[in-house]
Amino acid sequence: MSETSRTPLLEIKDCTMKFPGVIALSGVSFSLLPGECHALVGENGAGKSTLAKCITGEYRMTEGSLFRAGEEVDLSSYSVSKSQHQGIAIVHQEFQLMEDLTSLENIFIGHYERKGLFIDWKAQKEKADELMEFLQCSINLTIPVKYLRTAEKQIVQLAKAIILDAEVVILDELTAVLQEKDIENIFRIINILKKKGIGLIYVSHRLDEVFEICDSYTVLCDGKHIKSGRVSEIDKPKLIEMIIGRELSSDLYPAFDGPIGDTILEVKNLTSKDTFKNVNLKVAAGEVVGIAGLVGAGKTELVNAIFGSYPVTNGEIYIKGKKTEIRNPMDAIRHKIGLVPDERKLLGLNMMYDVRNNTTLPSWKKFKKYRIFSDHKAEIEKAFEYNEKLKLKYRSLYQKVLNLSGGNQQKVVIAKWMLADSEIFLFDEPTRGIDVGAKFEIYKQIKELTNAGKAVIIVSPELEELIGLAHRIYIMFEGEIKDEVSGERKTQEVIINSLLGVN
Amino acid sequence: MIGGGLNAFIREWMILFLFIFLLVICSIFIPSFASTNNILNVFRQVSFLAIVALGEFFVILTGQMDMSIGSMVGMASCFLAGFVVNSGMNIWLAGAIALLMVITFGVINGVLTVYGKMPSFIVTLVTMNVIKGINYIYSRGLPISGLPRGFNELGMGHVLGIPVPVIMMLIVTVVLRVYTTQTPMGRSFFAVGGNHEASRLSGINTNLVGISAFVLSAIMSFIGAIGLTARTMSGVANLGDNMLFDVMTVVVLGGTALSGGRGKVVGVMLAAMLLGVITNAMVLLGINTYWQWIVKGIILVAVVLIDSNTQKENS
Repeated sequence: MSETSRTPLLEIKDCTMKFPGVIALSGVSFSLLPGECHALVGENGAGKSTLAKCITGEYRMTEGSLFRAGEEVDLSSYSVSKSQHQGIAIVHQEFQLMEDLTSLENIFIGHYERKGLFIDWKAQKEKADELMEFLQCSINLTIPVKYLRTAEKQIVQLAKAIILDAEVVILDELTAVLQEKDIENIFRIINILKKKGIGLIYVSHRLDEVFEICDSYTVLCDGKHIKSGRVSEIDKPKLIEMIIGRELSSDLYPAFDGPIGDTILEVKNLTSKDTFKNVNLKVAAGEVVGIAGLVGAGKTELVNAIFGSYPVTNGEIYIKGKKTEIRNPMDAIRHKIGLVPDERKLLGLNMMYDVRNNTTLPSWKKFKKYRIFSDHKAEIEKAFEYNEKLKLKYRSLYQKVLNLSGGNQQKVVIAKWMLADSEIFLFDEPTRGIDVGAKFEIYKQIKELTNAGKAVIIVSPELEELIGLAHRIYIMFEGEIKDEVSGERKTQEVIINSLLGVN
Repeated sequence: MIGGGLNAFIREWMILFLFIFLLVICSIFIPSFASTNNILNVFRQVSFLAIVALGEFFVILTGQMDMSIGSMVGMASCFLAGFVVNSGMNIWLAGAIALLMVITFGVINGVLTVYGKMPSFIVTLVTMNVIKGINYIYSRGLPISGLPRGFNELGMGHVLGIPVPVIMMLIVTVVLRVYTTQTPMGRSFFAVGGNHEASRLSGINTNLVGISAFVLSAIMSFIGAIGLTARTMSGVANLGDNMLFDVMTVVVLGGTALSGGRGKVVGVMLAAMLLGVITNAMVLLGINTYWQWIVKGIILVAVVLIDSNTQKENS
């Protein structure tokens, strides 16, 4: 059968979505064939999520039409429950599972198998087991979801979506929180679904995944449809160019060639019961040090311990050669350490606050007049200065950070620590969920920091990022630093071997 | 001007417009309402409520709840009177000791919530009853009268024609307004209520802020109790027993988010005045107390309903 003769599972024509004052999407068209994985790529705020929501009926598109298996859908009465009946399902990046219920209950919530008035547990179990067998996964479905691993929870979410015989499945940033090994597993499942003739719409920031698993793509930029086509007919630089709407200057990573000064921070034998032990590391002025490791290796805990927000049982921290007690974040900030945490929305920012108060929060006590009163004017001036320096895209300092894109939110977190005069920057997954364009700017900012003589420690699950940014990389395995690589040994191969505990 | 212009300004100060609107309506339709005497009396009555509510405001702001304020009012009242009348203490010393007592319970509330990681609802439910027990044991359930006559001025006196409790309320409002907007510590209550972890990781002393909220609540209960005791001229163990409902209504009506992080001192004060006017109007219209409870209940539900739904819009 040739491709043109097959009826698309889903077809969107000239989809336009207007919100008061904003055109989120304009004239987007694409079609999804059976057994195909279609990548939806674009920067944060490009309109990917909006498009997904138009398809699932969460939003009603302002103009345009939607066809399901060749038949036009009546958009005037379209809704989430209608889309489910039409066999359209979505798997969200965030977990939407009830943590205290079992996977089995979660999978069947809202559409139980019944026997008269009662739930037919036996039938449900059989049906779920059948599905797990089909996906070639073995997950204990009878224990509460909270005991499952992140990757297993993702599979339960997926199972919940397809148990209703969905034919179109939207995967929204499914792999953003997963490790490489688990991503492989997800890919394997995607291939199984493809073989069954299910069409998938794949939303992701990780472009390598697009080339690995997707057949076709649609690029969005600022709500406009840039291009759709076959993945086999395009390469990565071209795709990036389309996504950010300009040519990428030769390399994503800036050259870190500034001078490296004296050691600023040194950690000796740092130990925290059960999570990490005898960690030794140091970082100098103008230096970027990376920490690599699998999930559970203790990376996040380690940087939090340095920042005083994770308990330490043993070991010493030296700042500029002086032994320093850091019992809590207040101590850390006093010693000019700043933490850019992994969970931006939960830990990095107060989402209800505006840009100005988020930027100045750690520095409130610095801006005073008559010794006790806040100097609002000085605060506002500084907040403006640093956010401008970081080229933040915002309407005003009084805009809630909630309404900024992920990349811009991260800039506010960085501005916060620059304003607090930090000399040691701890970055915990600084580019998680951030698009290519914003990543590039954050990398540039890290370079600026090193030029200004700051010391930087970066934790990241992306090896490429660490190799591109860090002078030296420490490799953690099960709570211990196994290796330190720099120069010629700073390669994917060497690091992966250490990561897995080989050698 | 903060972004959003006129529209946002009206929404921010809705409570003020509501208050003015209600004053005008009552003046037109209830003949006996608009006399200077009546209005000043209304304001005098609500000033105690406003002061106590401004303490609860800080607790709600940090995302917690203080159920023990009514008992604290009773404690301050009967111990202050008891120390003076039964033990012959100087009134200043008696006041200082009574203040110390309620602060102690404020600290207990705070420490159990912050360090004990207990739900503040339970902690303060317990201290509410414990304090009540102490009050009754000490006073044997009887009012303690015989306070020096001059003390009555605090509750019933006037300065330049304005009732002293109203002046107390205005001073408290101005001081707390300046505290919450112009000092780093005062601003921290909003930060902690908005996002506790992010505030902690930004170097805010979240434990201190959490405990301070309960201490402020205790102090405000004490100030309110002084005024109430001076008005009745006797120490009464159950003086604040019916206050919690009105206090919660006023705090929420004043625009404070129950989830914490958002609210205004002036809003709470205006809400107290608003509730005072509504209550007074009902009294003048001859609506009995039990019906008033029902009406107030409906008001609280309506306000929380609006609050929960505007919050949904915001996120």
